[in-house]
Amino acid sequence: MKRLRTLLWLEHRRSWVWAVSLLGSLAFWAWGIKQVHAMDVGERLGIRAGILAMAAGIGAVVLCLMIGRIRAETRHGQYQVLLLTPPTGYTHIAARYLYAAAVGFAYFITIGFLYWWIMALAGIHLDPTTLVELILAVPLYGISVTVLPAMAWTLLLMVFISAYRISGPGWIPGTVMVLGTPFAFRWLVEGIVRVSYTLPGWRLFANAPAALIERFGSPDPGVTMQVNEVMYNGVPLEPLLIMLALTAAFLVIAGRIWQEVEG
Amino acid sequence: MTDGNGWSLEMDAGPIYVQIGVRVREQLACGDLKPGDKLPSARDLAARLSVNPNTVVHAFERLEADGVIETKRGLGTFVREDAPVANMREEILRAAAERYVNDVRRLGVLQGGALAALKEVWDAGKAR
Amino acid sequence: MLARLDNVTKRYVKNEGIRDLTLGFPAGEVVGVLGLNGSGKSTLLKLLAGLLFPTDGAVTVYDAWPRRNRAKLVFLGETDALWPWMTPREAEKFMAGLYSDFDRSRFNELLDALEVPRRKTKSMSRGERGRLRLAMALARNAKLYLLDEPLAGIDLLSREKILSSIVQEWHTDETILLSTHEVAEAEGLFERVIFLKDGRLALDAQAEALRQEGKSVVDAFREVLS
Repeated sequence: MKRLRTLLWLEHRRSWVWAVSLLGSLAFWAWGIKQVHAMDVGERLGIRAGILAMAAGIGAVVLCLMIGRIRAETRHGQYQVLLLTPPTGYTHIAARYLYAAAVGFAYFITIGFLYWWIMALAGIHLDPTTLVELILAVPLYGISVTVLPAMAWTLLLMVFISAYRISGPGWIPGTVMVLGTPFAFRWLVEGIVRVSYTLPGWRLFANAPAALIERFGSPDPGVTMQVNEVMYNGVPLEPLLIMLALTAAFLVIAGRIWQEVEG
Repeated sequence: MTDGNGWSLEMDAGPIYVQIGVRVREQLACGDLKPGDKLPSARDLAARLSVNPNTVVHAFERLEADGVIETKRGLGTFVREDAPVANMREEILRAAAERYVNDVRRLGVLQGGALAALKEVWDAGKAR
Repeated sequence: MLARLDNVTKRYVKNEGIRDLTLGFPAGEVVGVLGLNGSGKSTLLKLLAGLLFPTDGAVTVYDAWPRRNRAKLVFLGETDALWPWMTPREAEKFMAGLYSDFDRSRFNELLDALEVPRRKTKSMSRGERGRLRLAMALARNAKLYLLDEPLAGIDLLSREKILSSIVQEWHTDETILLSTHEVAEAEGLFERVIFLKDGRLALDAQAEALRQEGKSVVDAFREVLS
């Protein structure tokens, strides 16, 4: 445990500028939200939701960049120093990932809060259950299916490239992996879609429609029916489970590569 | 390679442990070291000279076998009270004389000339 | 034998290699690994550290794969590889947190003896960084120390301090392998010297035995090279 703690500390000292900048950037997005001055309430809400979606996307990219900073270390020999420390490769990988994941959680849960805020600004009152779903459940589901696996994949990719770079033409396997990613990704998504809803879905936002109707009035019956259908089915659990399993697999493989390769 | 206190060692002048032994004898002969004086520990001396401690230990063992120094457990290594200082002075003087005579003989100089040169240099040195 | 190479070959795409090298290192030796650039000195030390794997043959340290025993050996690489934001105190935290054989008080004594400034490494000179890294290495209690060119690119005064510290810190049951170009400066330290030439063992001798023949290690080195 002491070793993991030390590695986490190292990771923090190494990356705190990234972490603070990322979390601090939320103040910028919040300011941007305040600046939105559309006439229609619905329009304002829409624009603000879009801003937050952008913040989420950019945040995801920045997190991947933050976690993938291994090349410089390889060049400067710090990788060599770490390779010879007693902790296993799994511990090293875990420390890097946990730090980035913690920053990620903080970031996306804050975005959840900001969604609450823009709803409140639009006059929508959400009950406690929906609030918890908005601030906690949705971000966690969202990042578990997208950002967490993406970060693990980036980490694996960078470890792979650094590792094989040292002994020969490392750019070949790395290029293969990078080029192969879109194909693998498409195949993965198709697979997940096919498998989804085998298990019962996770019902979220059961009370949200009522709150929206209270604020904006009833939508037409066609929309109501569609919404009811989505509400009934809930959010699929399969993607969550598959992506979490993949994340774990990527991390284990990255740890293994770390252990077994030359420095 | 020199250390300020006159422990100069040459890497191509034979084994270091021998040279250390010679230095100790020289220092005793000149009075820089006196019988009963404490020597630095093997490790300290080794650090000062940047040589392997085992080499210094080897040197000390030889000096001990030759009756120049002794180790008192827990106290350190000392020059023996009965160290044969007079003998060492003799030996060094002889060795210097031999070197001078050998150098000068090669010039074909005879004893008279050699002694005269020696006296001249000696007197000039005294004037300083 | 603390460490061994048995018929080890290391082939490289670009750099130095090692060819069919068989060597044994018992406990308690201070060994100089000497040779020109590209002769295989670094490769030898990295093989013993477990940073590189042999193409042929076997490297064993404490009767196992070196990497498996990495907690029991010390490798001081040539690369100036510390995090630029790290101070000596943070280096201490790093080492103490990861190595159970790290002696904090000895580390601080070494920092004083080597006159390492208490600043971030990015504002230290190369010599100061070298001394810090040496302090980190020598403050560990291991049986095998692999020092790859610890004197390279370091100013004269720092080199003297480094050699002196190594002598002070060495214990008779420890084995040190030190590779260097500064043969003249370091030769007094070595009991045994190994000369590598083009990846092969050109000479393996006891230093004092060479001197008995009237040769300094530098002389023997030149002979081997010609």
